[in-house]
Amino acid sequence: MSDTTKAIFTGDRCLSCTSCMANCPVMAAVKEYRGPKLVGPAHGRMHFSQEDVEESLNYCSNCKSCDRACPSGVAVSTLNMLQRAEYYKKHEHLRHEDMLAHGERMAKLIRKIPFGATFSNIGMGLGKTLGVFSALGLAGERNMPAYASTSLKDYFPRIKQQSSAKKIVLFTGCYINDNEPHVGEAFIKVMNANGYEVLIDKQFNCCGSPLVVTGFLDEARQHADNNVARILDWKKKGIPVVTPCTSCSLMLKEEYHELFGEDKFHEAAENVYDAFEFLEILQERGEFNVDHKPISQKLLYHVPCHLKSQAIGLPAQDILEEFGAKVQLADQGCCGISGNYGFRKDKYEISMKIGAKLFERVKKKDFDKVISDCGTCRMQIHHGTDIKPVHPIEILAAAYQ
Amino acid sequence: MKTADVIVIGGGLAGFMAAAVAANHGQKVTLLTYGSGSLPLMSGAIDVLGNTETPDTAIKNLPAHHPYKKIGLKNIDSATKFFCDLTSQANLPYVGRLSAQIPIVTAVGTLKHSCLVPESMDASNLVGKKKIFVASIKGLKDFYAEMLVDNLKSHFHDSNFEVAKIDLKLLGGRDITCMDAAQLLTDNEQPLANELKALNASEDDAIILPPILGIMGSFSRSVVKTQLRAEIIETTCLPPSPPGIRLQRAFIRYLQKSDVKVFENSKVVRGVVEDKKVTGVVVENAVREKIFRGKKIILATGGFYSGGIQMREFDNPVEPIFDIPVFFPTGAENWSNQQLFSDKPQGFSMTGIFTNENLNPVNEDGKILFENLHVVGANLGGCDKIFERSAGGIAIASAYKAATI
Repeated sequence: MSDTTKAIFTGDRCLSCTSCMANCPVMAAVKEYRGPKLVGPAHGRMHFSQEDVEESLNYCSNCKSCDRACPSGVAVSTLNMLQRAEYYKKHEHLRHEDMLAHGERMAKLIRKIPFGATFSNIGMGLGKTLGVFSALGLAGERNMPAYASTSLKDYFPRIKQQSSAKKIVLFTGCYINDNEPHVGEAFIKVMNANGYEVLIDKQFNCCGSPLVVTGFLDEARQHADNNVARILDWKKKGIPVVTPCTSCSLMLKEEYHELFGEDKFHEAAENVYDAFEFLEILQERGEFNVDHKPISQKLLYHVPCHLKSQAIGLPAQDILEEFGAKVQLADQGCCGISGNYGFRKDKYEISMKIGAKLFERVKKKDFDKVISDCGTCRMQIHHGTDIKPVHPIEILAAAYQ
Repeated sequence: MKTADVIVIGGGLAGFMAAAVAANHGQKVTLLTYGSGSLPLMSGAIDVLGNTETPDTAIKNLPAHHPYKKIGLKNIDSATKFFCDLTSQANLPYVGRLSAQIPIVTAVGTLKHSCLVPESMDASNLVGKKKIFVASIKGLKDFYAEMLVDNLKSHFHDSNFEVAKIDLKLLGGRDITCMDAAQLLTDNEQPLANELKALNASEDDAIILPPILGIMGSFSRSVVKTQLRAEIIETTCLPPSPPGIRLQRAFIRYLQKSDVKVFENSKVVRGVVEDKKVTGVVVENAVREKIFRGKKIILATGGFYSGGIQMREFDNPVEPIFDIPVFFPTGAENWSNQQLFSDKPQGFSMTGIFTNENLNPVNEDGKILFENLHVVGANLGGCDKIFERSAGGIAIASAYKAATI
């Protein structure tokens, strides 16, 4: 792959065909946003002639619908994120942007305090009730994701695994590590059932996605450099890095390279897999464990945008169906939350408007469970419908018991 | 991963149609698309053949190498019926038949004749209207009612024209395109209905609007129309085009209901070939490749404009996935006609793949290259689809045939 895959170079392939506009969920929800074509590729070029700020840039949610709509391979949303970073070189970050970008830092602080998770969960409940979040610029309507009492990384040594010559490293991502470690545990069970020993690398940082979307690009670059050095190290040992979080895997596999361009990001990306992508590869090689209890559930699958972008098909659907599940796609587009976008007070309404069709679909309740690979998609569906979705790996883990 | 009965490569009109027809025939279909396809950019009308009042008879007189001759009139007819059924199921009724052309009003007020047109654009009944109102929507980009009136007058001498200034409170925010207006009016039709009612147009009158009547089928149009006595007609517009988006959604809904697996962002780079059979296609993502296996493959990746045919070196056009030979006029002097708006076709537009009657690609000697690969839509060579205005018809008819073989 050459340098031309770096997002900034792809802007010149834009023909202004407007496909991205026709597929942008934010444009459909709000008329203040000038849209991916004008903000990304077109306005990106203006910077060469004069200093200019496109204020409506802050409406982009980085859901990547525009990238998928583009017939010419323009990394539209990444161009937007690069420009957002430019904007913040000369503008102060707002308090809530700083908070939403640094979830990992916050979680680490809390873990240092005895019962920190419990207290901060109580605190967040109070914060919501008292309107503190709203005053800070956060969406007061939402619950902030509650911390698990013990993070996955802390709990990990207590998980019993058979040692095996076949190993993978689990990239937990922040949400699974701090908020939903049971998803990580389910993943470990599934990998164990397939004869793999799961390792954890405590030196991994947050993938950087929350930083990129809030314009902390320099910090994201530090995360990228650190993570990629670790991934390359594992690559040398022949041990793949696998993650059940689709936004993390997209960042590690694709966005680092688009944002920063250097070859090392692509070299590292070759060693990174989405969880079900990896399982499907095992299946193709005839190494997949099919000794399982049949799954008889009817599942409604909300496919995250960041999974669609990866062009790996829908391995979770295929595998669960082969195990007996009936999987129906929700097929209602973006859920609207797009990482921390829907947590911003000024974007909450947009985010709920984008998700409305999905909520309507989920509320039909013609299924046993809703599944989705993305943590924030699951939060959004829960918030919009009161129905709590699970990660598809949890369904698979249960079938292996 | 299971082997699909049919893999369709391409998500434009031909690809969607092929997937829909194949699914309707009980096949398990996978559709791979890179980019959202041409539908949001198209007018909504399906041209079967221009420069004739009766496409069906004109098709009979086409030369033997023309794609329509390989497809056959019976399939073209079945394709139009399938298309109209599909759209009417999606509450997006189309009108038209192969033996006639229907006028539609363009965004600049000329008349364009097409074979299958959305009911909302059918301008047949403009003849004899006493008064024709043309809506000028405040803040709407790229729609100039006065210019439209000036041009349309020459077609309807006996009608009175009036520009109706309408404020739908669209201002505030970005420049509003027809797509934006259509999205804003979806489920919020009353402000427009009220403005149009205030015109007091009678059943002898008509109101011409840019295509802003919603993006979901003809739902918004029905809401407005039931409150009016006059006919309302939509024009074409610049992309993004609501009539094209409505058609795209109609297809997507149909594919979803038929359990067609649609994978976005999936760039097919080559085929998996055994002898003369394609057993699968290889999708290349950011870091690795994935094979999708299928029993039958339909190639609908488009022509030059969509990258389905590429020409990095002059004289050497290529089909990048299967490396199928591409035919095009030899001799640089035959490539282009410098008179862009003349009455002659463009040589380079004839570029494309030649096939047998089953739409299997053939080489120069007429030998079949792949038995289970069928080529449809703008990938097909041998005619200038833009000049003869046959792109839409060839897309749906070749797709129908390929899917039913």
